Amino acid sequence: MTVTPAVIEEEEPTKKGLSFKFPPEETEMGLIAGIIGAVIVIFTGLPAVIKGVGLLLVLLWGMDSVRKTSKYGLGTGVPSIGVLGTGYGVVGALMGLAVAEYGRVGQLYPAVLVGVIVMGAIGLVSGIFANGEKFIAMKIPRLERAMMELGMAGTLAILLECSILTGSLSFAAVVNNVMNTGLIALLFIFNCFAMLHPYNACLGPDERRERTRMCAVEISGLICVLLGLAMIGLGTSPYGILDGVSMIVFGAIVWVVYFRMFIKACMDECYETVGTGIIKTLE
Amino acid sequence: MEPVLMILIVGCVVIGGLLASLGAHLLPVGGAPAAMGTATGIATGTVQIMLGAVMTGLFTAASVATFSDSLLLVSLSGAVGATVMMCVVMFMANVLYAFGCGIVPVSGRVDVDPITKEPQAPYRTPQTDGHGVPNVVYVSGTIGGFLAGFAGALMYYALLNYAHFSAGLAAIVALSIFVANAILAAYNIRGTIEGFHDPKFKRLPKALISSFAVSLLCGIVVLLAATILGGAL
Repeated sequence: MTVTPAVIEEEEPTKKGLSFKFPPEETEMGLIAGIIGAVIVIFTGLPAVIKGVGLLLVLLWGMDSVRKTSKYGLGTGVPSIGVLGTGYGVVGALMGLAVAEYGRVGQLYPAVLVGVIVMGAIGLVSGIFANGEKFIAMKIPRLERAMMELGMAGTLAILLECSILTGSLSFAAVVNNVMNTGLIALLFIFNCFAMLHPYNACLGPDERRERTRMCAVEISGLICVLLGLAMIGLGTSPYGILDGVSMIVFGAIVWVVYFRMFIKACMDECYETVGTGIIKTLE
Repeated sequence: MEPVLMILIVGCVVIGGLLASLGAHLLPVGGAPAAMGTATGIATGTVQIMLGAVMTGLFTAASVATFSDSLLLVSLSGAVGATVMMCVVMFMANVLYAFGCGIVPVSGRVDVDPITKEPQAPYRTPQTDGHGVPNVVYVSGTIGGFLAGFAGALMYYALLNYAHFSAGLAAIVALSIFVANAILAAYNIRGTIEGFHDPKFKRLPKALISSFAVSLLCGIVVLLAATILGGAL
């Protein structure tokens, strides 16, 4: 005699509406963000909103690299990686801006990408030193690639922000409007936060890449708002005050949409907590 | 640009990077365990402490650089600024641990203080790695802060006077190169260190080699930028 189970197992309900799967994989993300970011950096005559979209993608890429590096438990804290990316970014942006005048066609500055490539190389070298058996021996898989990506993403982000604030990438304009006004210090901190904060805030046994990315996009939106305010203050945009205002509106929309999405995702997922067990050495 | 100036720029950046790496190994970095009072040192990561120290150093160095052209004076003023900042932070950490948490400053890595010969082991809470900032760690941290501030101010001076960058640009570039070196040092010490008496301090040469390579590359980048721009800042 066989007893059929009274209750047929229900299918697990799929989580709805809260996935943010653009683009689904880390390598694709790097390629898409890198290429789009590089193209937008070259064309400095574009309106600020398009540069803002590029900035958003590049910062998302930087956040992904930070996440990739920090996932293995460095012992130095997640923030240090974000600060490293921005530090490389400033040196790379200096290199890019120095050679910007070569091969310039009107508002096109293809030579700034030299800075991105140089910083990728320096990132790779420091990754090799940090991971190499004979040197620091961190033994983190793919640390070289992650540090290279960090350098490139950081450089692209700083260059894009300079391009948004000054409307060009000529060295004199950037020095006068960004460096000497002290805005570079703010950019340094903005970039650090966009890269390090999402993973630093979301890390734990229940960390999910899509949720972390929502947080990153939300911070990038806030950065766009602040950049818009700075643009209005500087008054350097070729499109007048409208450029700054559109940037603020764009940033505010991005912030509202993704902040709601992020909070909703947190609320939905907080009921299930993944336990990690009791520490074995407890006496 | 004259060859002497080129060598001076790269040399100052490399020396600054090496001193930054050495300074990071001397500072009392406690990390997250120190925030719970279960490890010696200041309760944050290497890079945050280094960034705080060098930024204070750059403030004092930049103030002195407005009226002085002496390399030694500018670098030493940066070093003094960073030292004062580190000393205040370590002192306040001790005040908070002693009067807030009720635990005594004690080293986790040595049983007897190498400088004052005070016993450490009997005062250490079981299952912890020391607390607060004891004497030897305080001395080590003071030296570390001095070296870190000196390194930052040296780079700032080279960028300002040899590469002819503007003050703001020189400060932010010096800070960035400093951070890159501090990270390599932080990787090398794996998060926490007490100072020169810590067993991890013996790993220093590895960090110095890596630091040398990265600062050399950064120095060359700065040199190229300065040469291309030709003082057009």
